[in-house]
Amino acid sequence: MSRAGTIARRTFLIAAGVVGGGMLVGAGVVATRLHRIDGFRLDAGPGETSFGAWLKLGSDGRVEVAVPHQDMGQGIYALAALLVANELGLSPDRVRPVQAPIHARFANPVMLLDGLPFENEGVLQRAAYWSFEKILRAVGIQATGGSTSTRNIAEPLRAAAAAMRDMLARAAAAHFATTVERLKFVDGAVLAPDGKRATFAELADAAAKLPPRDIALAPLAPDGLIGKGAPRADVAPKARGQAAYAIDVREKGQLYAAILHAPRLGAKLKSARLPGEAPSVRGLVEGADYVAVVAESYAIAAAALDRLQLAWDETNALAVSTKDVFAACRAALDRGADYRKRWVQETKGDVRNAAGAQITAVYSAPFLAHMTMEPINATALVTDIGAKVWAGTQSPQLAQMAAAAAAGVDTAKVEIVTPYLGGGFGRRADVGFVAKAVEIARKFKGVPVQTIWSRAQDMRDDVLRPAALADLSATLDANGLPATLVYRVATPSIVDQFVARVMPRAVGGLMADRTALDGALRSFYGVPNVSLEHFAVDTGVPVGFWRSVGFSLNCFFLESFVDELAAAAKAKPLDYRTRLLAVSDNSRAAKRAWRVLETMARFDVAEPLEAPREGGRVGRGFALTEPFHSFVGMTADVEVTGSDIRVRRVHAVVDCGLAIDPQNVIAQVRGGVNFGLSAALHGRIDFENGAIVQQNFDSYPLVTLADAPRIAVDIVNSGADIGGVGEIGVPAVAPAVANAVFAATGQRLRAMPFQLART
Amino acid sequence: MTVEFNLNGRKVAAVGAPQSPLLWALRDELGMVGVKFGCGAGLCGACTVIVDGAQTRACQTSLADIAGKNIATIEGLSGPVFEAVVAGWTRAQAPQCGYCQPGFVTAATSVIAADQNATPESVLAQLTNICRCGTYDAIRDAVGLALETLRADARKAGGAK
Ligand code: FES
Ligand code: FES
Repeated sequence: MSRAGTIARRTFLIAAGVVGGGMLVGAGVVATRLHRIDGFRLDAGPGETSFGAWLKLGSDGRVEVAVPHQDMGQGIYALAALLVANELGLSPDRVRPVQAPIHARFANPVMLLDGLPFENEGVLQRAAYWSFEKILRAVGIQATGGSTSTRNIAEPLRAAAAAMRDMLARAAAAHFATTVERLKFVDGAVLAPDGKRATFAELADAAAKLPPRDIALAPLAPDGLIGKGAPRADVAPKARGQAAYAIDVREKGQLYAAILHAPRLGAKLKSARLPGEAPSVRGLVEGADYVAVVAESYAIAAAALDRLQLAWDETNALAVSTKDVFAACRAALDRGADYRKRWVQETKGDVRNAAGAQITAVYSAPFLAHMTMEPINATALVTDIGAKVWAGTQSPQLAQMAAAAAAGVDTAKVEIVTPYLGGGFGRRADVGFVAKAVEIARKFKGVPVQTIWSRAQDMRDDVLRPAALADLSATLDANGLPATLVYRVATPSIVDQFVARVMPRAVGGLMADRTALDGALRSFYGVPNVSLEHFAVDTGVPVGFWRSVGFSLNCFFLESFVDELAAAAKAKPLDYRTRLLAVSDNSRAAKRAWRVLETMARFDVAEPLEAPREGGRVGRGFALTEPFHSFVGMTADVEVTGSDIRVRRVHAVVDCGLAIDPQNVIAQVRGGVNFGLSAALHGRIDFENGAIVQQNFDSYPLVTLADAPRIAVDIVNSGADIGGVGEIGVPAVAPAVANAVFAATGQRLRAMPFQLART
Repeated sequence: MTVEFNLNGRKVAAVGAPQSPLLWALRDELGMVGVKFGCGAGLCGACTVIVDGAQTRACQTSLADIAGKNIATIEGLSGPVFEAVVAGWTRAQAPQCGYCQPGFVTAATSVIAADQNATPESVLAQLTNICRCGTYDAIRDAVGLALETLRADARKAGGAK
């Protein structure tokens, strides 16, 4: 393997170890590379001036910012432009975001830091956190996920822009024979006290020659565009159909491939034959568990795929069915402490000292597909020495490694182009699809081949949001508050599988998967005796990251259960939560949560539940969550008619520290609510004898315009460190709706998707 | 077979099996990649085009069906209704990933253009597309804004007479 590949793989091992909260091995080896990172500069083309790793001045006078994250609708390109524009006194449309090269400078340590098995609090922990960050910034993986994009790049980008401004100012001061303090920055030019002006372009050469200085940054606070936002530049082209996605790549001489996987998981391809004449078909590619037809158009390839005579080797095919999955989860939970892959991720006090009334409940959730609107696809051009791949990937660096292995070329010889992503949601963090597209194109050296997964294949080849089964039990003290909470969830480990997919020879099962208890783990409620346990269950079904993943399971389980406790204590849901916060031992978190709760309570009074229509019953439900370092409270109003649940309105309260671009925060939270609602009301992926059951949007329905609720979002700017935004709308909606249905009907919904017994 | 039809006001020909979906002829042969593939089964609306004035799902339309017809794709849309729709979409900042949006914009343009008395409710009822990013609230706002613009334009034109 090439040196670059070795380093990348080793890095990933470390990264995976950190994600899983395992041991960090080998950090010393790579830390020596730190010093080389800061010297990195963007290449400058003709007429361009480079201002370091992040910024350059383009020949058209616009500032170009390298964005190491992919834009999948979360608006990170626009946010990068906003931050840079704000520092440079420009309007955001004068800043052009472009894809950053794959380089250690652009690694995303935040995503991995979130996986550390401790919080960034306390002297020792802060020191450890700081050094992990330094190391991971140097050697980490360039990736987009975990609601980290803004948290990852806000500070480096502001620092880079401040340094560029300082260089321009010093050049201008010399030019006008004045001092830096007397200059003004106005829309792409520097103004001297006497009104003379010099544009950035005029100053660029002299400025870029000056040594950059470290400029102390004021803490991120509402100022100029920060906290106000600006219209996103990608919006109009997207509305006009002019934005290009990977599936829109059209290279000269391009061929198209349609792909078909073995119907049963684990089956292998034995043989494939295309009977009869097929003049425009250029060939078949036989993969391990798939076959692809390559043709001059996708229509021809897809039609030929339907005609193939296929034989599959089912020796190792899975026979798993949905009920087996839950049976395996049940068996693991019943095994208890003897279960081999049991990770106790948090204990507090002693849960055996339980006295008083015990309340138990069993919750469950199914596998879920991602259903990105743009089906999975990639275009690859393979030559003898290298490869170029156009792919909507959230992990360009892993994609580069996967493509290199599939093409049999050096990692450094693989170029990854990431156009806009037609949705990501974690699906595009996995790179198996890139490897397959490259394998297929490798059979047609020198010719670009675009492989497209049909919707059914997109679902068949998905890495699903894990199914889960949870046993929750609590005892209430004399005041009706929980004295003990035992939270046991059985669900596959995503980290185990993700590592195994990226590094087939790695030993799995060595580390805890923190995501399995996300949403159960960082509770701000005061419960003195707690045990949080994950039972890692392997059913053979491929699982992966999914918008808010663990939170989407555990927030539903926990926040519904808290409602059950409130009911048992005969307390109103909002009051009960306020009391739980009052006894919290994490005052910082409790304070933020309390402000959210207070805003919810105000809404509750100001906007009462609307009366039901003929024959319906209405109810209001609440949920309080802390996903991705943000706090989200949600109120849902439902109307139940027969067994039909209609969500009429949702009110979300969001504290993400500081909403840099409030309109985008609102958009992301609304989108997340609809995403979570599709899961709560409709989403399920089932298996029968190892084969996926659902095939398209008819058997896997999503919320539509007709049934999407009106969603109002209130932002609380607490001034805390900025938290994530892209996924935070998802977790709270399912429990809020379930609790609302309880309020309306007295029925508890403990399994997603919700099914109401007719009453 | 070769099928001739009008695409965005120009005569074109597409070659393919009679049952072959219009979607792929548009995308692979005729370069209209603004028409998106989402489900291939008529369920999502990403592939929406306008056939003789009516919103139509290109993945469910065969080449044989369109001989001699007038097809408009997002690339060929223009005029006051389309511009009002795009302006509404832009002001409401509707697109997120954006992949579903050309289908929505095309559908909204065709629905509004076909009905002088369109109301937000009447337009929204005819938008059965899917948006996985969940931009529905913004789309509701966008439709309202587009209709307001058109009404204001109509008033201005009326006043100028
Ligand atoms: S692609 Fe035609 S309706 Fe979905
Ligand atoms: S904007 Fe992403 S699917 Fe609609």
